[in-house]
Amino acid sequence: MWLYILKRLGAAATTLAAASVIIFIFIHLIPGDPLYVLLGDGATPDQVDALRQKLGFDRSLAVQYFSWLSNVLQGDFGQSIFFQTPVLSVIGDGAETSILLASITMVWIILLGIPVGMIAAMRHGSWTDQGLSGLAMLLASVPTFWVGLYLILIFAAWLGWLPSSGYPSIFDDGGLANLQHLLLPSLALAAPNAALILRLTRASMLDVAREDYVRTARAKGIRPWRVVVRHIFRNALLAVVSAFGFTLAALISEAVVTETVFALPGIGRLVVQSILRRDYPVIQGVILITVVLYLGVNLCVDLSYRFLDPRVELE
Amino acid sequence: MTKFPKIIGGAVFAAVTAFAASAMAEGTLRYATIGEPPSLDVQVGTASLASTISQHMFETLYAFDAAYDPQPMLASGEQVEDDGRTLVISLREGVPFHNGQEMTSEDVVASLTRWGEHGSRGGLLMKNAVSLEATGKYEITLKLSEPNGAWKNLLAFPNGGPVIYPASVASAAGKEPIALEDYIGTGPYRFNEWKPNRHVELVRFDDYAAVDSPADGYAGARVAELDAIRFIPVPDVGTRVSGIQAGDYDYAEFIPGDLFETLDADSAVTVHRNGAPIYGLMFMNSKDGILKENRKLRQAIQAALNKEEALRISIGPEKLWDANGSFYPKTSVWYSDSGVASFSEGDAEKARALAEESGYDGTPIKLLVSTNYQFHYDQATVFTKQLAEAGINVQLIVVDWATLLKKRAQPDQWDIFFTHHGSVPDPVLITVLNETYPGWWETTEKEALKASFTGTADIDARRNAWSDLQALIYDQVPAVKTGDVYSYNIASPALKGIGDSTVIWPHFWGVTK
Repeated sequence: MWLYILKRLGAAATTLAAASVIIFIFIHLIPGDPLYVLLGDGATPDQVDALRQKLGFDRSLAVQYFSWLSNVLQGDFGQSIFFQTPVLSVIGDGAETSILLASITMVWIILLGIPVGMIAAMRHGSWTDQGLSGLAMLLASVPTFWVGLYLILIFAAWLGWLPSSGYPSIFDDGGLANLQHLLLPSLALAAPNAALILRLTRASMLDVAREDYVRTARAKGIRPWRVVVRHIFRNALLAVVSAFGFTLAALISEAVVTETVFALPGIGRLVVQSILRRDYPVIQGVILITVVLYLGVNLCVDLSYRFLDPRVELE
Repeated sequence: MTKFPKIIGGAVFAAVTAFAASAMAEGTLRYATIGEPPSLDVQVGTASLASTISQHMFETLYAFDAAYDPQPMLASGEQVEDDGRTLVISLREGVPFHNGQEMTSEDVVASLTRWGEHGSRGGLLMKNAVSLEATGKYEITLKLSEPNGAWKNLLAFPNGGPVIYPASVASAAGKEPIALEDYIGTGPYRFNEWKPNRHVELVRFDDYAAVDSPADGYAGARVAELDAIRFIPVPDVGTRVSGIQAGDYDYAEFIPGDLFETLDADSAVTVHRNGAPIYGLMFMNSKDGILKENRKLRQAIQAALNKEEALRISIGPEKLWDANGSFYPKTSVWYSDSGVASFSEGDAEKARALAEESGYDGTPIKLLVSTNYQFHYDQATVFTKQLAEAGINVQLIVVDWATLLKKRAQPDQWDIFFTHHGSVPDPVLITVLNETYPGWWETTEKEALKASFTGTADIDARRNAWSDLQALIYDQVPAVKTGDVYSYNIASPALKGIGDSTVIWPHFWGVTK
């Protein structure tokens, strides 16, 4: 297994190197100039040129790339053009929101998607199954922003139970109570993904339930809940766990909309705003770190197969 | 049976924590902004949001009252000598900066010098400066080669204007925007923190030295009643509105016209219509392309446009727009109807005849517009159709704002570009008159009129010159004004002292919650 991990890490390094070149080139190919955005409507060419020189944007792209790469390898992702603060600090601040949002969302997805999917599978063909499957289809079809706006309207504007938007850090005044700011956004983000996990759990469990060993287990008189949990659910989990990898990736892209609707200071909104402002160092930093995370998550998901099913060989 | 109490318990927990959070926010005004400002160094930047925020931190020598007359702020008075060529400005004593140091003439000279050399609007006054000296600890003397009738207005306008920094900050910054740690001014609030994507926070400056006169517009005593002001980026308009209704924000900006009537009737919010309009401007390229030196074709474009139709479609409720051809509203001392007969003719036949006279051969005219401002794009779309009816082909080039800013600096990339202009207290600040602004309008007639406009302090002479300049704009068509748009903001009814927003940027001294 260690050899497998080493091979995967080697492949990841190559992917990362290629990604860094692509990220850098594509970002600099976007038309527009961050200096005009920073200096505003009335900037004189003289001011723009001075700032361009100071930030090193007057050098060739190749020189800029290798300078950036060499700094990144030393842990220095540069300075945000717009915020005039280190990129890692800007990303770090957004990461707190995004990590907590993704974590709470995953909890919702697991709590809602898996048990309800199990119930639907166990009551296959019944009204309960049809009702739950219909609800899942509805949640998967409704856009996240729409769900978000209605959650704000009902729970914040009408009932006043939860904050409508924003997220003060848990390290600021309010501490852990600030997590209430993430309840509505995580629900909005979880809704379509929980629906998918629900349907996948249901379908996967129905497939496994038809296997001979399940019939044998039942014939041996094992209690029904034990058959479901130990024989059906555990074997159905492989497909569901694979889907979690994709779901996590989807959360990152879907979070852009959720973070915008709920005014959350997360990574998704940071990327979109940074693209609009042409804040190259921030865009490059976020994408590079995201690529690393993707590669890491996928490796972890692949490794988890081995623990979930000892028959799986890692080569 | 056991689930229901848990749900109730959860709701109670949420309500209690929400109450605790709102209690913590007492004394802090939460302003939901459409985005984040660029640098708050307003000497070099002109972004509206930067001006809104920074006016609480940085002050100018003069400030406009509600009638847009400049009144002393950091200055205490002035003497004008040598037919307006020498300005001796005395300064208030005992005005501390946020770092505790007292403001003196040395700081004012350093700030005005930087503004003159690198400020967005500094050249309008300082290009004719012969000398600028500290002639006492609390006195400066500015000598000009030519009188400048707009000098006091220019010193009072904070957007791209001469705000006063400590000398050490102004001298060290030079051309570059001032760093966050050097946001040091004399205003009633001081800079506390800027958390990217979260907020910019200002806190009350307890040692603030207010002017000894009642508050009036931006002038007079600025009393900081609030503990802090937080400017929070909330990009989604639905969230800004719901946030006010839910009590999560106290003030929200940039609310679209289609919500105006609903919100106006909603007791949970108060609507503040801005008394100072913004107006769309379509600049013609005087440096390159098909419109360069082709006055007839420009006039043809102007004649084809029906601005009222475009305003109705793009803005909506009639309370929020005015098809006004003058560059100033009727209430302003600068209002003039010279040339405005050509403002919104919407006459396709006349336009066709003028285009033919100009030798126009159907070549597409490149109109550069951004979707970041919806009304720019909507109006450009309406105008494209109107121009097509007059036989003038327009090629819309739709880009984002960052791309537009870059492209418009390249004369070969466009024939017309769409932007908007905020209200300014003196016509000299209108970008159409600035020959270095993209469009690059520079004709002998304009230069002569502009010289007579700025070269006198006599208000009647200046008004007449401005009237002639406006007529010239409608004749030479360096830009087309598309009509006045009145934006509006909404606030929590709990905010007191905000008054009618008759000034350009909302300010929160004298405001309580």
